[in-house]
Amino acid sequence: VQPERPPTDPEVERRWALVRDRYGDRLTAEELAQLRQVVEGLVGAVQEVRRVPLTNADAPLDGFAPLRRTS
Amino acid sequence: VTPEVVFTPVRRLAELVRAREVSPVALAETFLGRLETLGPRLNAVVTVTRERALDAARRAEREIAAGRYRGPLHGIPYGAKDLLATAGGIATTWGAAPCRDQSFDADATVIRRLDEAGSVLVAKLAMVELAGGMGYRQPDAAFTGPGVNPWDPAHWSGGSSSGAGSAVAAGLVPFAIGSETWGSILSPAAYCGVAGLRPTFGRVSRHGAMVLSWTLDKLGPLALTADDCGLVLEAIAGPDPDDPTTAREAFRHDAADASARRFRFGVVTQALAACDDGVRETLLRAVGVLRQLGTVEDVTLPDLPYEATARVILGAEAASAFEDLVESGRIVELTAPEDRYTPYARDAILAKDYVRALRLRGLVAREVNRVFSTVDLLVAPSRPTVAPRLGQEFRSALRGTANDVAGALGNLAGLPAIGVPSGFDAAGLPTSVQLLGAAFAEETVLAAARGYQALTDWHLEHPRLG
Repeated sequence: VQPERPPTDPEVERRWALVRDRYGDRLTAEELAQLRQVVEGLVGAVQEVRRVPLTNADAPLDGFAPLRRTS
Repeated sequence: VTPEVVFTPVRRLAELVRAREVSPVALAETFLGRLETLGPRLNAVVTVTRERALDAARRAEREIAAGRYRGPLHGIPYGAKDLLATAGGIATTWGAAPCRDQSFDADATVIRRLDEAGSVLVAKLAMVELAGGMGYRQPDAAFTGPGVNPWDPAHWSGGSSSGAGSAVAAGLVPFAIGSETWGSILSPAAYCGVAGLRPTFGRVSRHGAMVLSWTLDKLGPLALTADDCGLVLEAIAGPDPDDPTTAREAFRHDAADASARRFRFGVVTQALAACDDGVRETLLRAVGVLRQLGTVEDVTLPDLPYEATARVILGAEAASAFEDLVESGRIVELTAPEDRYTPYARDAILAKDYVRALRLRGLVAREVNRVFSTVDLLVAPSRPTVAPRLGQEFRSALRGTANDVAGALGNLAGLPAIGVPSGFDAAGLPTSVQLLGAAFAEETVLAAARGYQALTDWHLEHPRLG
């Protein structure tokens, strides 16, 4: 569950502006209000992820491997 | 075909088919009939594949009569979540109105492997549109309508493998293939009172399956028993050159009596604290049963943002996977009103956020691995609640309105888990206990679940559909 954030969180405002400017003309006022809440939630998730300290050696856990030549 | 074939585990059906006491054609006809008559009541089916099914059933019958028995899935009907590609002009709709006329030239690897095992595809099963990746908040989020729970039609079947859960529970198919990115196998299995196995990431090829998240998607079986899940997993697991994430090793289901085996169980305290009272009550009873199979201790997982990390990764990958659909604006054709705008929010996730979440994922995987040095299996509720009511918004960890530590860390770290029925709440809705194992420890997960089901009879209860 997301912690409460002040409504003027500058991180939310910056990212909300990005989303609103790009898609705002497609949506009703009600949809925009709902979408803003979704953005607030996502920014909250990002902030939670950022709170955990990582070192330079903490690499992404992903599955990338170069493709071997097959012929 | 005698009525007893319905709600009969695959293991027993296989014995009947092999002994030629039940004909694969009659078996297919029985389940096709149930899919056609009961499927619509549950919004469980997209396409009944009658012609393909009867062709496959006749082939199985001929082969078995000629002494060419392929194994325990030979002649056994099944349903596939409608995100698995099927050739032959059978639509693959991804549960989404904009894709309802979509079809593919080739079968998904999982479908092909089940064909090779002699199984009979009888239906493409309903699902939440685009596997729930657009941010839906209520059950009415598929062009086939909300998945209806066979135990109570006022409640949801769960998602996103909605039809897979309800069809197995209602005896419309002996088993089904679902997919899970975060919760989509364990949720419908729990809400519908059946077994659902989420394999280790890389255990089962996703080739030919709709992508929601390249690093989180998994395919797995839903069935009446844990043993049946093992039988199906053996048929679908293994390396696939078309899916480079697949692991090299095959999986062999060990069906030997597990009653003498001892397991070290760790009950996840955070998950126990976050569930509803009815779920907690049955979970604690399940833990009491597990004590007969080994030792039980409480485990408090390291304090890490499991759910937030999974949200960031899933959001970023889904944004890319469906970029064309979202940018085109065709999401307005989706069923759930919230799915028509929620995907736009994902532009708020920056590249560095996504990479940081992937880095944190490594930390999560290492921390969870440390836990598995002291326990064999983590225990948690499969879902923190029973099935929500239709027409109501539900809580969801994907949206940050619920806690799902076990689901988030299990999917982040790509770990196998099974959900099996653990009882009913006061209103008669199923509850489910989740056993979560270390990577590629499906055999341990299944053995413990089989042991649990040998000591309980919740999996023998079936809904009455009238």
